[in-house]
Amino acid sequence: MSGAARHAPVTAGARAASKLGRLFWLVPLLLLPVPLFLDQYQQYVANLVLVYVPVGVGFNVVVGNLGLLAFSNVAFFGIGAYTSGILMLKLGLPWWATVFPAGVMGGIAGSAASVPALRGVRLFYLAIMTLAFGELMRWVYIRWEPLTGGSFGMAVPTPSAFGWSLDAESHKFYAFLVLATAVIALTNRLLRSRFGRAFMAIRGNEEAAAAMGIPTDRYILLGFAWGGFAVGIAGSMYAALVGHLSPPSFDLSELILEFAIVMVGGLGSLLGSVVGAVVLTAAPEFFRDFPGFEELVFGVLIVAVILFLPRGLASLLARAHPALRDRYYRE
Amino acid sequence: MLALLPQLIVSGIATGMLYALVALSMTVGYRATTVVNFGHGDLVMIGGYACFVLGVNLGLPFAPAFSIAAALLFAIGFLIQRLLMQPIIAGPHLSLAMMALAVGYAFRGAARLEWGNDILKLPHPYPTATFFVGGVVFTMDDLVISGFVLLLLLVLFLLFNATPIGKVIQAVFQSQRGAALVGINVRAFHGVMWGAGAALGAAGGVLLALIVPLTPDIGVWTLVRGFAAMTLGGFGSLPGAVIGGMILGIAEKVLGFYVSTVFIDITAYLVTILVLLIRPKGLFGQQATIRI
Amino acid sequence: MAPLLELSDVTVRFGGLTAVDQVSFRVEAGEICALIGPNGAGKSTLFNAIAGNAPIQSGRVLFRGDEIQQMTPHAISARGVRRTFQNGGLFGHLTVLENVLVGLHTKVDSGFFGVLAGARKSHRTEAGATRQARGLLALMELEHVADALATELSGGQQRMVEIVRALATDPPLLLLDEPAVGLAPPMRARLGDIIRRLAKERSVGIVLIEHAIELVMSISDRVVVLNYGRKVADAPPAEVRADRNVLEAYLGHG
Repeated sequence: MSGAARHAPVTAGARAASKLGRLFWLVPLLLLPVPLFLDQYQQYVANLVLVYVPVGVGFNVVVGNLGLLAFSNVAFFGIGAYTSGILMLKLGLPWWATVFPAGVMGGIAGSAASVPALRGVRLFYLAIMTLAFGELMRWVYIRWEPLTGGSFGMAVPTPSAFGWSLDAESHKFYAFLVLATAVIALTNRLLRSRFGRAFMAIRGNEEAAAAMGIPTDRYILLGFAWGGFAVGIAGSMYAALVGHLSPPSFDLSELILEFAIVMVGGLGSLLGSVVGAVVLTAAPEFFRDFPGFEELVFGVLIVAVILFLPRGLASLLARAHPALRDRYYRE
Repeated sequence: MLALLPQLIVSGIATGMLYALVALSMTVGYRATTVVNFGHGDLVMIGGYACFVLGVNLGLPFAPAFSIAAALLFAIGFLIQRLLMQPIIAGPHLSLAMMALAVGYAFRGAARLEWGNDILKLPHPYPTATFFVGGVVFTMDDLVISGFVLLLLLVLFLLFNATPIGKVIQAVFQSQRGAALVGINVRAFHGVMWGAGAALGAAGGVLLALIVPLTPDIGVWTLVRGFAAMTLGGFGSLPGAVIGGMILGIAEKVLGFYVSTVFIDITAYLVTILVLLIRPKGLFGQQATIRI
Repeated sequence: MAPLLELSDVTVRFGGLTAVDQVSFRVEAGEICALIGPNGAGKSTLFNAIAGNAPIQSGRVLFRGDEIQQMTPHAISARGVRRTFQNGGLFGHLTVLENVLVGLHTKVDSGFFGVLAGARKSHRTEAGATRQARGLLALMELEHVADALATELSGGQQRMVEIVRALATDPPLLLLDEPAVGLAPPMRARLGDIIRRLAKERSVGIVLIEHAIELVMSISDRVVVLNYGRKVADAPPAEVRADRNVLEAYLGHG
């Protein structure tokens, strides 16, 4: 039924968005002078934001696009971080050479974490199981002392990229900016292709997706692997940023932060995840000096967002301008 | 080596009783609403702290402190369900999970803000003692915890099976729509069941505080063990939660001694993962997987 | 030549319940075969069995002579057996256009790395598929809703989009599960016309579950009647109308 192709009018939003898409590459360019205006600590926070951008983007592929309630994200993050740390410390590799392997290890962990979903485990069962997987990994870091340094953690050597030492926070900023931009761009391409459509179809109705000839298992595996890859790269960035890895960095509180980035940003929205990372990563830094206050404020904030802004900040963006409506963000 | 097995089982049973109570308290709320409370562990923790504040800071005797703590947690559980979960009950599961996590997180923060990293221990309301029976050591803690949980289970069993209200609860667990038809206020019922779950959890928290130091982070520790016990017994099954808890308690001790101490910490995770992979419905539960 | 679809002695059991009991029938290309029977007669289960969504205990399902009863739903779909769903199988998070693009999934062959690299070929494939999807919507006069979310459409439009989506890959066999439910009479007549034309002009084999009996009788070539999972009649509409077994199925126990 391949009748005469006729172009129906495209909505204003879609047209504006595609115009805006071309401006995407301008954003990292505009961010280039940022380090000039920040002191050492502010620069650290800015770098942390860049670390959490791929965390949010990767996690969102699994929970927002595939729609699976999987809590294994912190495991991918930790595995990426430790992969980089171990390769640098034990094999003496420069940091830049460990970024891709960290992503690959994250992707492998993602594939492993998809096994229960492939066996038909869903909803809370999947959440509990993947939560257990994440917590189990924390014990691996604690007990695999020769590699990970155990409870005391591991000092990560000064990162370097292509012979340049990234010893100043501003240097890391540029390296991270490149990586975060790349993860966003690649994930965006993936989501806008038949792969992203298949993810969204699975989220909507798995039976109907299969009836369209989509091998749902393969796409669930792919979504997890891609999410793990993106988050693994973020882990590698994290290792380079903090310089010291220890198991408590990858506990349930970390999961709540990562989950909140996706929820507060807006489920299923790539742009939302980025915004969520920017808003939420910076926030806890303000409460550093009051143990507990951070958790309390953060918890209350998330409760408020779920109750009063259930579709996250992405819904505000979409309302502000049609061009800011994300491709797969739907109210 | 094998001579120690009875000892390990005895102390495993006491811990297992505690897990059983926590798992049971989680199952009650889950059965009523089919929503898992990912913040339940933190309610258990708050229950322990509430009893501490009432008993130590305000100087109440143990029994009233315990009862008021349980009542307080009933109210908290009820309000969480009615004010925070009910409005989004039709929303995506992700929101429900995130909401529960966030509430628990806020409680943890509040506890940390107030008690920081103090290590608090609930004073024992009974003399500490140990007994030897045939070479096996029983501590007073073991006996009190096991005895109390057994008593509670007996009361619950009678409540569920021999009273009109128990019959009604069981009927609603079976069919929500049926319950609405016979005139039960399902919403209020949901709130009450979450309250009951939180109160039972508080009891678990108090017992826990007798044997381990109270910290804001015991909630997570508890949650994971509650999940493991529920999964093992079969998600949503009340007897399954109890038996799963017992098995988990014993397995931690036995594996921890004979295989590696790491099993004390990781048995719960392994049990959760393995059961859901191999036999998702656990020992007594219903099917947990979907087929497409 | 082998028939388009052939079921022989297909039995589906759920626990102790036999939902479909040794049912056999055939559908040829260009033929409209209606599946009727009282509620619980096993019609939808039989559909699920053909599409790979229900386990078949015994018997065979042959599509163009090949056994498909052990295949996964997506493999069966990729072979050219497409279905619609009784309760609306549209993807609510996607627009109408994207829904049709998902229907074209097996025809959009852009590779994973090509997509990541932003390869020109991937863009061309994607643009081509989009053009095709818009064309398909235009044929059904649905192009004006292409960018609306599937959930924003009326019930009738949703049914039409689901049919467009199922037809996107030019499947030789189409399984329609109660397509007329909730449609107003004029819309119903139009739907009947479309189904008829699909079969006669484009030789699509169609299996149709439908309760709107006058629609069934007016467009079907053959009617298979199920009762308690068993086939009780298999004949042209006029004969079925007069069949005593059928009357019993509907009036006797129904």
